[in-house]
Amino acid sequence: MKKVLTLVLALALTLGCALGASAEEETYTIGICQLVQHDALDAATQGFMDAVTEAMGDRVTFDVQNASGDSNTCATIVNSFVSQGVDLIMANATAAVQAAATATYDIPILGTSVTEYGVALDIPDFDGVTGYNVSGTSDLAPLDEQAAMLMELFPDAQTVGMLYCSAEPNSVYQVQVVTETLEAAGIECEDFAFSDSNDLAAVASAACEYSDVIYVPTDNTAASSTGIIDGVCRPAGVPVIAGEEGICSGCGVATLSISYYDLGVATGEMAVRILDGGEDITTMPIEYAPTFTKKYNPEICEELGVEIPDDYVAIG
Amino acid sequence: MTIASLLATMPGAIAQGLIWGIMAIGVYITYKVLDIADLTVDGSICTGGAVCIMLMRANFPLPAAMLIAVLAGMAAGLVTGLFHTLMGIPAILAGILTQLSLYSINLKIMGKANQAINARNYDVLVSMQKLRNVPVYENTILIVAIFVVVLIAFLYWFFGTELGCSLRATGCNPNMSRAQGINTGFNKVLGLVISNGIVALSGALLAQYQGFADVQMGRGAIVIGLAAVIIGEALFSRIFRNFALRLLSVVFGGIIYYIVYQTVIWLGLDTDLLKMLSALVVAVFLAVPYWKGRYFARGKGGKTHA
Amino acid sequence: MLELRNLHKTFNPGTVNAKKALDGLELTLKEGDFVTVIGGNGAGKSTMLNAIAGVWRPDEGQIIIDGQDVTGMAEYKRARFLGRVFQDPMMGTAADMGIEENLALANRRGQRRGLRWGIRPAEREQYRALLHELGLGLEDRLTSKVGLLSGGQRQALTLLMATLKKPKLLLLDEHTAALDPKTAGRVLELTERVVSRDHLTTLMVTHNMRDAIQHGNRLVMMYEGRVILDIAGEAKQRLTVEELLEKFSAASGSQFANDRALLS
Repeated sequence: MKKVLTLVLALALTLGCALGASAEEETYTIGICQLVQHDALDAATQGFMDAVTEAMGDRVTFDVQNASGDSNTCATIVNSFVSQGVDLIMANATAAVQAAATATYDIPILGTSVTEYGVALDIPDFDGVTGYNVSGTSDLAPLDEQAAMLMELFPDAQTVGMLYCSAEPNSVYQVQVVTETLEAAGIECEDFAFSDSNDLAAVASAACEYSDVIYVPTDNTAASSTGIIDGVCRPAGVPVIAGEEGICSGCGVATLSISYYDLGVATGEMAVRILDGGEDITTMPIEYAPTFTKKYNPEICEELGVEIPDDYVAIG
Repeated sequence: MTIASLLATMPGAIAQGLIWGIMAIGVYITYKVLDIADLTVDGSICTGGAVCIMLMRANFPLPAAMLIAVLAGMAAGLVTGLFHTLMGIPAILAGILTQLSLYSINLKIMGKANQAINARNYDVLVSMQKLRNVPVYENTILIVAIFVVVLIAFLYWFFGTELGCSLRATGCNPNMSRAQGINTGFNKVLGLVISNGIVALSGALLAQYQGFADVQMGRGAIVIGLAAVIIGEALFSRIFRNFALRLLSVVFGGIIYYIVYQTVIWLGLDTDLLKMLSALVVAVFLAVPYWKGRYFARGKGGKTHA
Repeated sequence: MLELRNLHKTFNPGTVNAKKALDGLELTLKEGDFVTVIGGNGAGKSTMLNAIAGVWRPDEGQIIIDGQDVTGMAEYKRARFLGRVFQDPMMGTAADMGIEENLALANRRGQRRGLRWGIRPAEREQYRALLHELGLGLEDRLTSKVGLLSGGQRQALTLLMATLKKPKLLLLDEHTAALDPKTAGRVLELTERVVSRDHLTTLMVTHNMRDAIQHGNRLVMMYEGRVILDIAGEAKQRLTVEELLEKFSAASGSQFANDRALLS
């Protein structure tokens, strides 16, 4: 009796394994490496998983790992993914993408919450396609849309001052693109670059002298010194258009705000195209947030008397 | 999730452990030899990485970039040493002050919080990319292992010289050292300089290995370094008595730390808890010899590091 | 050889814990003097030795060793004139280092320490011979960690280290107080041997009156940071403990009641 039972069990096991193996041909494993616990990054990861699950159901298993803010742990995590031979790596935030891109030249890597891939991956003359196994989504609000918003709110603006930190390559890039768009529309632009928060006030004053409107890109130094910018620009009556919501809430009148969840969803759709659609990641351009919200700072708008259209949402 | 896949992660864990093992040797010199807990290392490891990467991006030859990175780390150690000896600031606080200012300095070196080095475009010495499918002589594990061996040989020689002996005496018994005409202040500074130079070397290797330097990369480094020192000592102190072998045990400590870390990640445990696990591992390994000394004392006169 | 001129030192000045440890101390040693120093707790005996060694600067006064004013000289620089043995056996040696390493450290007192090898093979033989003379069996344990030695062994080793390079002045700070009587006797005997062999100028602080009378050519008694009694030569040879106690009462104007136990 015992022997029969053993035999049945063994048979069942073999069968199970065989079935499992046949099903495995269509299933995928995705390793997700997120740099740090953070509302925006968490939302992006969630959006990614929701989008992939919706399209592929339970044919995909996720291995979600968080480096808890320790960039060195990203290396440990992606090493684990590469060794396991996952089918795709989703790297959330710059250090995660960098570690993944160093760890493997074969497994497709999709990044998200990265502002500029050319800078993050040290690719000279970056044109939106890395040319190798890395693609993904950028958390940069589309720069031409930002320029368009500036012109929508201030149709009479003749001169725009670009206020940014010279030490931040991301800012330089954004300012270039926005300047091109504005100048194409006949608006004069002038760069006002500061080296750090010490000379920011002086540079901002000069910018106010020159400009009808000031544009501040997504710039870390500016983000941490919005008080200085506000202290100069508001008394001078010069409105500031900001590259992201944090800067806008400190010193700007309006900004374009992206949803990190939607950004994750866009990244997830790219993953589905690679895994199920067989698309070649080396030719996939970096994508931007599909939807964004126009937001404004009610306090500063009221003080400067800026008219805000109805489709803008108050930051609050 | 099979054992085979866990084994496959080992080259990465070993390489990372070796690089951190070099860092731990630096910690060993201050913590064990000089009897100072030096927190400068949290900053100087990043300084090493940042300087190395920025110079490589400026097309400096790799050996020059790494050498200057080491010198930068030594300068950081010098500052801590002078804070401590010339200005009379307690060693821990002196280290914290330097570490704090290094945050700004590292930002200035890199121009921003994070700088990448693309292994495709530069001849990096070590890389996650060079763990498999490369000729043996390019293998990252081998190269870092050579660094470890050369470094240990150098330190073994140095600590055997008159100067090195006086440095060990300084950490062991400063009163006796001064009575024997040893300039303990100078020696403490020298020890901090050497230690932070070594830590910067590991930072330079680490940045190349993972493909970027990040202003946050040194956060909690001292805990990893201490963990390596303590694990190495707890596991190998009975077999390894010679100074060179004790340094080697510190490197093994680093490797074991990363193998455990890698396994934790492979098991899929909640990574939110990683920091706490690291701290607990260090605390337990620190407590065991203390308890042993306290409750199972055999003989007298033993010096315990509580 | 040694001259202390009007030394003053107050610890924790300006606080409730202020303690005047040296109060106009004057003392002169000739070359070859072996002076024993006695006095009650807080008389300033150890403070005097620490002032000479340069552990800190005196508030006032001068310290002159062999004609050179060393008052402001750093402790480690001054070490080239001095051999020191401390009360605590832990204090004079590096516990985590080997016996030969400790000796090699002491053998380079007053020299620049460079990148030459820390111990040369020839030294090892010298150390072996010296340790053999101690008769403690240490000559076969050259590489043993000093932390494994007994208190007496460590004090004997410290004494050897202090005199390895002949010092201008040997400072012994109650160096037998922490040892059991038998070991203390052996260490004292060794001290006597080394001092007379090398004709060392020596300052020996002790709690033991008999030892103070028995050893050295001169006896100094301290009280409240000053020398109150200084007996040398024949007069010292004839001293007894009772006389010493009487002289203390007469010189200090107070009873030795509290210190009697310690001094006997």
